Amino acid sequence: MKLISLLDQLAATPATAAPAPRRALLAQLGRAAVAALPLGATALSVAAAPTDTSYDAVTQLLLLERTQVALYTQGLAAPGLIPTAQTADFQRMLAHQTQHAALLLKALQDAGAVVPVLPRFDFSGRHSVATNPELFPAVLTSYDAFLALAQQLEDLGVRIYKNYIFIITDPQLLRAFLRIHSVEAEHSAHIRGLRKSRGAVVQHWPSEEDAAIVRPTAAQGLTTAATGGEETGVQYLTPGVPVPFASFLLISTNTAIHDPALAEAFDEPVSSAVAQTALNLFV
Amino acid sequence: MSDHTFLPAWREQSLGRRVFLRVSAASAASVALIAAGCSTTTVTPTPADPYQLALPTGDPGLLYFAYMMALAQTTLYQKVMDAPPTDLTAAERAVFVDLRDHKVVHQQTIRYLIDPTGINQLLPTDFAFSLSKFTLTTRAGVLAAAQQLADLAAAAYPVLLTLFTTSSIPQRTLLLKMSSVQARHAAAVRDLLTPGSFANSDVVDSAGQLLTKTPTEVIAALAPYFAPYVISVAGLAVPV
Repeated sequence: MKLISLLDQLAATPATAAPAPRRALLAQLGRAAVAALPLGATALSVAAAPTDTSYDAVTQLLLLERTQVALYTQGLAAPGLIPTAQTADFQRMLAHQTQHAALLLKALQDAGAVVPVLPRFDFSGRHSVATNPELFPAVLTSYDAFLALAQQLEDLGVRIYKNYIFIITDPQLLRAFLRIHSVEAEHSAHIRGLRKSRGAVVQHWPSEEDAAIVRPTAAQGLTTAATGGEETGVQYLTPGVPVPFASFLLISTNTAIHDPALAEAFDEPVSSAVAQTALNLFV
Repeated sequence: MSDHTFLPAWREQSLGRRVFLRVSAASAASVALIAAGCSTTTVTPTPADPYQLALPTGDPGLLYFAYMMALAQTTLYQKVMDAPPTDLTAAERAVFVDLRDHKVVHQQTIRYLIDPTGINQLLPTDFAFSLSKFTLTTRAGVLAAAQQLADLAAAAYPVLLTLFTTSSIPQRTLLLKMSSVQARHAAAVRDLLTPGSFANSDVVDSAGQLLTKTPTEVIAALAPYFAPYVISVAGLAVPV
């Protein structure tokens, strides 16, 4: 990831003056990354901090979608895990995630970029090594454990798309990302609702009133990536200039709200590094 | 109690965790007045037809558009809070309190982006989102109305976000952060009305992407509720 970041940063430097055709940026970055890989590994390792780029965005999102596809596929295949009444819900979400993955895969292929190999997913957190500690117990045998993980991955999905939206320059891809971003949010709200109906203390949106999903320390990266920072009540107008909520959410104008609602009203993005740490737990 | 007790108004009325107010019909609806000699960012009734409101061009017009969508929702949700149907459960009422609060935050934040001074009057005093066409005396009617408005706004955001020309990433980010909350509202309300109807084929296409609506389509859908006012979005950017 870091290497690719660096490479396409370099590739992007000689900017093309003429208006680029659709997908040209991604294509340029992708091809440059392929061409430069053998050299890059040794020569350029620590030259610059990793930067989020279109190529990184698409590859990370592909990993996210593939993770969700794998979770729902394994969940639907696990006997007795998902109640019959909700089978259709997960089939629908699986279909959506499969469609998203296909779009991202095609974007990489059209760009002539490296398509990452489909990893082997292990939702126990053991990285397919039986002697490793189990970080996510009973995901495929306990419906509550399955839902908790599904919720966190859907929340993570909303946040990763959010992180990348404004670096996407291709109008078609931008539009698709915005529309998928909203679908991920609907998925998350639904799974949160399912958990709520089963007695979990959780809202349809990330809230400080949600009961924490307790994980071993080594699995904390997922919780951080899924909801870390959602409790913030600070939003910015320009860098360093916060929105003065206290000046316009007032009892005198009938616009007072209950405290947690301010943070709930804004879904936060996640940085690519934090997201990658979480996604790496399952491969 | 929370991170937000710095808000003095909230501290003033510490009547428990939740603090809200009854909003009279007048205050909910008449958000602002038109100031004489208003700037280009305010709506101007044309002399020929005082009920014709042309949204400003450019990004201010887009903000106005987002503001009106939020206004529609806060008006509905406040009404449900003030006069909940008897068959709306306590848990569902609690959801409506959250919906109302989130949309108040969105509406007031957008209002601030339009008019940071807070003193200009954005809309005519008698401008209102009319609830008379909804059936708000039953749970089913309330949820149907909420779903209609939440779906509409969720469908609008992905288009709206592509139309801004501002270089201000934080401003667009604020709206992006609202857009997924709006989608969550839509899914929550859909599931309350019809369990499992979140993100179904009525609102998501065969590529797994949310079906969207342009500002023109959204304003056309809302037009019956804004009557006698007629809102023109001719000045807004057009999606390509």
